[in-house]
Amino acid sequence: MADLALKSIHKSYGSVEVIKGIDLDIGHGEFVVFVGPSGCGKSTLLRMIAGLEEITSGELYIGEKLCNNMEPRDRGIAMVFQSYALYPHMSVYDNVGFGLKLAKAPKEERDRKIREAARILQMEHLLERRPSQLSGGQRQRVAIGRAIVREPEVFLFDEPLSNLDAALRVDMRMELSKLHQQLGATMIYVTHDQVEAMTLADKIVVLNNGEVQQTGAPIDLYKNPANLFVAGFIGSPKMNLSPVIAGEVSGSRIALGGEGLEQLSYAFDGHRQKPGDRLTLGIRPHALKISETGPVKGKVDLVERLGNETIINFRLGNGEQWLAVVDGDAPIGRGGAVAFSVAESDIMLFDENGENVRCLVSAVDGEI
Amino acid sequence: MIALRRYGLTVIAVFSTVIIFIVPFLFIVLTAIKDRTEAARLDFSWPTNFPVWENFWTVISTRNFMLVTAYINSTLITVGAVTLLVILAAMVGYVRQRRKGWWNGLVDFLVLAGLMMPPAVVPTIWLLQEIGLFATLHGMVFIQVAYNLSFCIILYRAFIATIPRELDEAAIIDGARPLDVFFRVILPLLKPVTVTVIVVQSVTIFNDFVNPLYYLPGNQNVTVQLTLYNFQSQFSTAYNLLFMNILLVTIPPLIVFLFYNRQIVAGMTAGAVKG
Amino acid sequence: MMAMSSSATASNAPLTKRQRTSPYPTWFFLPAAIIYGVLFLFPTFSSIYFSLTRWTLFDSTFIGLDNFAQFFREPFLIQGVINTIIFALVTCTLKVVFGLGLAVLLTSDIRMRALLRSIVFFPVLVSAVGVGIAFTAMMHPTRGIINIALDLVGISGPGWLTNPALAIYSVALVEVWRGVGLATVIFIAGIMSIPQDYYEAARIDGASAWERFCYITLPLSRPATVTVIILSFIHGLRNFELVWAMTRGGPGFASDVLASVIYKQYQAGFYGLSTAGNVVLFVLIALMAIPLYIYLNRREGHQ
Repeated sequence: MADLALKSIHKSYGSVEVIKGIDLDIGHGEFVVFVGPSGCGKSTLLRMIAGLEEITSGELYIGEKLCNNMEPRDRGIAMVFQSYALYPHMSVYDNVGFGLKLAKAPKEERDRKIREAARILQMEHLLERRPSQLSGGQRQRVAIGRAIVREPEVFLFDEPLSNLDAALRVDMRMELSKLHQQLGATMIYVTHDQVEAMTLADKIVVLNNGEVQQTGAPIDLYKNPANLFVAGFIGSPKMNLSPVIAGEVSGSRIALGGEGLEQLSYAFDGHRQKPGDRLTLGIRPHALKISETGPVKGKVDLVERLGNETIINFRLGNGEQWLAVVDGDAPIGRGGAVAFSVAESDIMLFDENGENVRCLVSAVDGEI
Repeated sequence: MIALRRYGLTVIAVFSTVIIFIVPFLFIVLTAIKDRTEAARLDFSWPTNFPVWENFWTVISTRNFMLVTAYINSTLITVGAVTLLVILAAMVGYVRQRRKGWWNGLVDFLVLAGLMMPPAVVPTIWLLQEIGLFATLHGMVFIQVAYNLSFCIILYRAFIATIPRELDEAAIIDGARPLDVFFRVILPLLKPVTVTVIVVQSVTIFNDFVNPLYYLPGNQNVTVQLTLYNFQSQFSTAYNLLFMNILLVTIPPLIVFLFYNRQIVAGMTAGAVKG
Repeated sequence: MMAMSSSATASNAPLTKRQRTSPYPTWFFLPAAIIYGVLFLFPTFSSIYFSLTRWTLFDSTFIGLDNFAQFFREPFLIQGVINTIIFALVTCTLKVVFGLGLAVLLTSDIRMRALLRSIVFFPVLVSAVGVGIAFTAMMHPTRGIINIALDLVGISGPGWLTNPALAIYSVALVEVWRGVGLATVIFIAGIMSIPQDYYEAARIDGASAWERFCYITLPLSRPATVTVIILSFIHGLRNFELVWAMTRGGPGFASDVLASVIYKQYQAGFYGLSTAGNVVLFVLIALMAIPLYIYLNRREGHQ
C-alpha cells in the first residue's frame, strides 16, 4: 500500500532555490493534483517524486521506503508525460510492453498484460500501429497504457491533457477519473488548469514560488482560500479583489470603507483588526446578486449574455473593474447604474500579508 | 522577358557546368577506353577502337591482381572504421548533448582540435610501431576512427538535440538502464543521421590517400588510392590504363552518390546554417 | 559527478549514501577518448619533443631548436611555408567567390537545378589523386587539352605545371575545381535558409537584383560564408594529395607545401626535421585559423 510522505523537500539549481521546503502527506488511493502557475515548481516536484530530478535535501517516502537515492524503476511509479513521449520506432504493442520487456517478464505474461491494458483503454485495434499513425487522444491512451502495465503503486501525470483540444480534454478528464476509480491506485497529477484540478482531485495542492500555498479538498479551497494567491487562482471567473480600509469596529462587526462599497460590514470574532487597517476585500462574481439596495454599487461597462447566465462587467466608484455572474438573462443595459447584494458568508477579507482573516481567526480560536 | 532571362541563365549555367565540370570526366572516360597510342596523345577525341575489356583486365591483373587486393583492403578498412565511428561518436554526442558537466568545454575543444589539426605523422608511425599496429589493417581502422571522430560527433550531437529528452525519461521510468536507453531507444532514432555518417565517412575513408601512404606501407596492405599512386609510375606511358584505374576507383563513390545524394550533401553542409 | 556530490554534501545528508547513477554515464566517452587520446593527442603532444631531437625512430638525441633553425635557413623549406600560405589564401578566396556565385546561380529560377547541383558537387567525392593525375594530363604544356583549347582562341597557354612560378597556382586552381562544390552546397544551404519574405519585401521596396544580393543574400548567408572560409582555409593549409599527385612539389621545390615537405623529410629519414615541419604546420594553423575562427564568430555574435 503506497502512501507518500514528503518531508521538507528542497531543490536548488546552483544558488537558485526552486522548491523551498515542502511537507506533504498523500494517502493511499488518493487523487492529488498539484496546481499552480507556470514556474511554480509543480513539475519539478513531480519529477523529484519520479526520480528524474535529484532531491537537494529533505526526505521522500513512497510506502515505507525512503526513496531519495532510489532509481526510478525501483520506486513503484509510472509516469505519463505532457508530450506522451511514445517511442516513435516501436509499435503501440511494443511501446506498452517495453517496460515489461526490460524487466524480462515472460512473453505470455507480457502479452496478457498488454492486452489487458489495451482492453481497459479500449485501444485493442491500435496495437499494431506506430505512434505517428495515431491521433492525439489515441497517443494519450497509449501513454496511459504504458503506465498501467507497470502496475505501479503511484501514477504520475505531468500535464497530460494540455496537448489535446478542448472537447477531447473534457472526455479524457472523465476517463481519467473513471480509471482512478477502477484501479484504485494513488495518482499525482500536475496541471496549471484549475478546472482540471477542481474536477479531478480528491486533494489539491496549490503551489506558488516553490511553496505550498494551501492543501485541501477542491471545495474547501474554493470556499475558504487561505490567502490572496489561492483566492485568485481557484475559481473562474476570478474573484473580485479590492483594497478597503477597516472602518468603525462595533461589537463583533467591522465596517469596511471604500468607494462604491457602502455599508458593507463583516462579522469577526477576533481582535486583530482595528480601524484604519488596510485590508483586501474578496467577493466571487457568482456571490453577487442584483439588488437595488445592495451595498456594492457600480456602473455597467459590458454585459455578456450566455443564455444560462449573464456576465456583468462593472466599475466601482473608485474605478475598479469587477465582474458579476448572475443567473438567467438579467435585464441590465450598458452604461446604467447597478447594485448588488452579497451574503455575509461570501465576503472574504485578507490582511496586509494576504492571509485570509477568517482563517487567521479560526487559527487564533484554535489556540485558545 | 522573364522567360527569356530564365532561358539565358539556364544556358549559361548548363554551358559553364558542362565545360568546367563534365569535360574532365569525359576526358577520363575517353582516355580509359582508348588504346595505348591514342591515349598517349592526351587529346579530347573519340577513340577509333575500344579496348575496354582489355584495358580493364590489364589494370585488374597487374602486379598479381593488386587492385583486387586493394579493393578488399579498402572495403575492410572502411567497414570497420565506419562501424566503430557510428557507435563511438553517437555515444559521445549523446552524453555530451544530454549531460551538463565540467568536461563539456574540454570535449568541445578536443572535437574542434580534431577537426582542424593535422595529425603528427612521424610520432604516430613511431607509436604504431611500438604498439604493433604499424602497417596493419586494424591499425589503419583505429587511425581512421581517431581522425574522423570529431566530424561524426558534431553530426550526432546536433541531431540528438532534436530528440526530446522526455523520451529518455519515459524509458528510465519504464526501467531502462543507461545502456538500454541508449541502445534500445536513442540509437534506433538516430537512423537518419547514421545513414549520413555512414555514407559520408565511407566515401572519405575510401578516398583517403595520405594516411594509408604513411601508415600502410607494403604491397599486401595496399588500398585503392595507393594503387593509383603505384600505377602512376608503372603506367607512366600507358595513360589508358592509368585512367581506367582512376575510373574504377571513382565508381564506388559515384554509386554511393547516386543513391545518397541528399544525405551526403546534408552531412557535409551540417552546421553551415547555424555557423 | 562533481556537481552532484557537492550538492549532496551541502544538504542535510540523505540517509542512504548510495549515489544514484546518471542515466548519461560519462564512461560513454571512454572508448572514443582512448582511441583519440592514444592515436591523435599523444602523437601530437610528443611531436613537440621529437621536433627538438635528431631522431631515428629507435633513439633520439636532444638538439634543441636546431631543426627549426634549419627549417628557416634552407630556402626550399621556407618556400614550402610560403607556398602553403599562398595555396590556402588562393583556394579559400576563389572557393568563396565561385562558390557564392554558383550558389546564387543554382538557387535562381533556372531549369535542371538539381542536376547541375549534383554535377558541381560530384568532384568533392572523387579521389584527389585521381583528379590530380587527370589534370596533370590535361595541363600538359603542349599536348594537354587546356592549352589546345586556348590555342584555338589564339592564346598560347603557359606550362601550367612546368613553370616554377606558376605550378603552385595551377595546383590551387585544380583544388578550387575539386572543392568548389562543397562551398557551393554550403552556400546553397545558407541561401535557402533565408526567408523568401525578405526578397519580396525588398522587391516591393524597389531593390534591383544586385541590391537584393548585396543587402539580403550576402549579409544573411554570413554563417555559411564563415563556414566556407574556415573549412577551405584549413583544408588549404593541410593540402597534400593534389600537390603530391600533380607535381611532387616540383619543378625543383617550386610547389612544395608543408605537408609535402613533411613527407619528403620522412622519406629521407630526417624524422626530427619532418616532425618539426609538422609542428610548424600546427603553429601555422593555430596562428591563422584560430584567430580567424574567433574573429568571424565574434562578429556574428554582435549582429
